[in-house]
Amino acid sequence: MEWTGLQPEMVRSELSEIVGDAHVSTDDADRLVYATDWFWLPQMWLDRGETPRKPDYIVRPKNAEEISAILQVANAYRIPVIPWGGGSGSQGGALPVFGGIILDTKRMNRIIEIDEKSLTVTAEAGINGKQLEWAVNEKGLMLPHYPASANCATLGGYLAPRGTGTISTKYGKAEDLVLRMQVVLPDGHILRTPIVPQHAAGPDFYRLFLGSEGTFGVITEATMQLDYLPDCRLLRAVLFDDLTNAIEAGRQIMTRRLDPFVIRLYDPRSTASRVKKILGYELEGAYMVLGFDGDKEIAALQEEKAMDIINGFGARDLGREPGEAWWNHRYDFYYPPQSLKLPWMYGTTETVTTYDKIEKLYFAEKKAVEEGFKEWDIDFIGHFSHWFHWGVMVYTRFIIRNPPDDAKEAVRLHNRVWNTAMTAVLENGGMVNEHHGVGLKLSRFMRRQYGDAWPLLERIKKTLDPNGIMNPGKVGFGH
Amino acid sequence: MQQMNTVIGAIENCRFCLMCRHVAPVGHITHNESVTPHGIALVAAMQRRGQLTWDTSTLSVLYAEPDGGNCRAHCVTDQPLPAAIAAIRAEVADKGLAPPEVVRAHDRIVENHSVFGSYEPANEQGEWGLFVGDAGFNLSRETMHAALQLLEACGLDVVPVGCGLDSGFIPCSLGYPKTARAQASLCIEEVQRTSIKKLLVLSPQDLFAFRQMYRERLDITWPEEIVIIDLVDFLAGQVPNFKMIPLAGTADNATAYVDPTHAVRLPGRFDAARTLCEVALGYTPLELFWRQDRAHPVGSTAIQFTRPDIGVRLTEARLEDAVNRGAQSIVCDDPATLHELRLRNKSNLRVQGLYETLLARLARHS
Ligand SMILES: Cc1cc2nc3c(=O)[nH]c(=O)nc-3n(C[C@H](O)[C@H](O)[C@H](O)COP(=O)(O)OP(=O)(O)OC[C@H]3O[C@@H](n4cnc5c(N)ncnc54)[C@H](O)[C@@H]3O)c2cc1C
Repeated sequence: MEWTGLQPEMVRSELSEIVGDAHVSTDDADRLVYATDWFWLPQMWLDRGETPRKPDYIVRPKNAEEISAILQVANAYRIPVIPWGGGSGSQGGALPVFGGIILDTKRMNRIIEIDEKSLTVTAEAGINGKQLEWAVNEKGLMLPHYPASANCATLGGYLAPRGTGTISTKYGKAEDLVLRMQVVLPDGHILRTPIVPQHAAGPDFYRLFLGSEGTFGVITEATMQLDYLPDCRLLRAVLFDDLTNAIEAGRQIMTRRLDPFVIRLYDPRSTASRVKKILGYELEGAYMVLGFDGDKEIAALQEEKAMDIINGFGARDLGREPGEAWWNHRYDFYYPPQSLKLPWMYGTTETVTTYDKIEKLYFAEKKAVEEGFKEWDIDFIGHFSHWFHWGVMVYTRFIIRNPPDDAKEAVRLHNRVWNTAMTAVLENGGMVNEHHGVGLKLSRFMRRQYGDAWPLLERIKKTLDPNGIMNPGKVGFGH
Repeated sequence: MQQMNTVIGAIENCRFCLMCRHVAPVGHITHNESVTPHGIALVAAMQRRGQLTWDTSTLSVLYAEPDGGNCRAHCVTDQPLPAAIAAIRAEVADKGLAPPEVVRAHDRIVENHSVFGSYEPANEQGEWGLFVGDAGFNLSRETMHAALQLLEACGLDVVPVGCGLDSGFIPCSLGYPKTARAQASLCIEEVQRTSIKKLLVLSPQDLFAFRQMYRERLDITWPEEIVIIDLVDFLAGQVPNFKMIPLAGTADNATAYVDPTHAVRLPGRFDAARTLCEVALGYTPLELFWRQDRAHPVGSTAIQFTRPDIGVRLTEARLEDAVNRGAQSIVCDDPATLHELRLRNKSNLRVQGLYETLLARLARHS
């Protein structure tokens, strides 16, 4: 349903008054480009010649005050507002499912302060992740959130879906690195959370905005914890005969607090396919990359202790070169044509749970997906990449190389695979997601995920956003 | 011309890939997804699928690509997106849909072999030549003179060639491969006519054209017997032989080096240019944020004709980068980049030619 007539023009002129005409677009090409983020469904939809739901306006504000004014217009006309960072989200979180205003934050890209004493950086939410990293690197520092999408994602987009980066195992998720945020609430109110995140002055309300994916407001600025660039990064690769031993070795390394910055464990199918394709190693078993960083002596000692554990499981030490090659090429997986790409159907059904459940969950999901979609010759691969003291995240993926040509049929098949995978995840104590967020893709599973707790979240949403303008259709609200 | 299937391959590969966003210069100044490599590829892909037609809105996206090479320089799978976009512009031009500024720029090249002024064919003969190019001759002649004097100081007898001659880069990028091929033939013909065997090249744009673009986009092979040499590389190799006049007073240490447009396509020159800067300035130059392999172009490519508004902003962004780094002056070797920087400079920044600065301090060549 296209929005036509006088009202759209009224809105456009009011938005232009706020941000300037050059920063409002209703242009056809822009509306098409902003009709899809990195979610497979809208990309496939476009690719097969179908018309997606487009935003009515793309607006580029330069500060929180302008966002506040935009939200007031949106409330007056009851039109949706969808925050947009880099559009790299894979969950459809930035899709304009009901049209409305795409609020592209990329004009808000200033670094406000780098505090070299407290090791923090304060920046506007629309700053590109890699550019922010380059800027702090110049001071010998790093923002230790290293997602594969740093080249394209924004700081706000790191926080809104609770992202996780490659070195999270030591340094934490994006949400663990944030000290303070400035947020514009759906009614236009601008607030700043306190600079100290760990305290006892009441509830941790600022965490509400982490994971709300733009449904509770717009993050406009954040202060993030930095670290010194490490003196060394020691990487090596080992090969396990079987996945069970490999997971157990990883668990022991974590629970003994040996502090690796990365443990990347590929299941045997990934080892045989992705590791072979990108790194060129032909190996059978479960390939694990292990990394320790920081002070040279401490890192070496940690590595030695970890290798003692690994050797106890009879794993083969492949040496440094394959570990370093992985580190140097770790993002090559994402460049087409070597990445997963259309017309294939694929999805990342990543999940997280505690160590006691993870293996059962992984095998249950694998079985459900492989058996449920045998006739589609479905491929199910995975790696375990974000390790915690209590559990681990598994990054499982399904791939169908010959999906239906018909776009509508493809949607139905895609959603059936997801229903199967998520049912297995939920039945085995997993979360529907660990780091990509919920978006539109997983919205329908949120009620099941949270059970009794869900109505509380719905109440919060209603209180903060009574007109339901903020990113409707996402994170389970409305489902 | 780039084979159509290679072109389509790049469009298809880039349409949903966001991995070069961090170095996408037009995306940075406009903050608009549509004019990033992904956005432009998506629009082109959707036009091919009949979802979009070439109209004012879509053409403004197609012509927003600056052809500075940043996307490809950072692409792990080396997608030739700029070449693909040039090929699509050629289809658009064939259909008579190219914007009037683009048509006008092309007409000037057809008429004068130069988009900026006039072309003066070379008549001398020699072993060494300096390809001056269009911008070096018509926009920043002092750079050409300084380069020639430096080469003379090095004891070389150099024939200036290609004075005011477009190497084919601009028409190719505008979407006129036939004209680009004609220009390329003229360049090669002139170099061969003057018996040059070692061709120094003043502008990175022409260097890119000779070394890569002719082969990839125009299907033209550069004559094997003529060696192409980046002037910056050559002069950097001469540094041990340079005797410099001592600096009068203390240096301000506030000059930044601007890696010129196309520098990302010629990574070998980053160090050479800095070596020359150190000699010319007497200290290590300041570094811009957008430097070396992430250097952004100024509006000196075909963008000045395809989307002049974006061209101006690209140049302003480089000037702002210098001011933000605390530079009081900037130095660059490329005539086209220097011209743009001078034209758009509204601040107190001094814009210096690297060769001019070097020449001013050169006492002699041992
Ligand atoms: C190649 C590739 C690799 C990836 N690898 C990783 C990875 O390693 N780790 C990881 O965590 N993710 C990864 N992702 C997923 C994605 O890049 C991340 O979720 C990223 O952090 C999203 O950032 P963005 O700026 O692109 O957000 P967008 O896609 O624009 O938005 C994501 C969601 O956040 C909301 N949002 C955006 N900005 C704001 C804001 N300022 N305020 C409020 N809400 C906002 C949007 O409305 C949307 O719901 C990858 C994606 C790609 C394409």
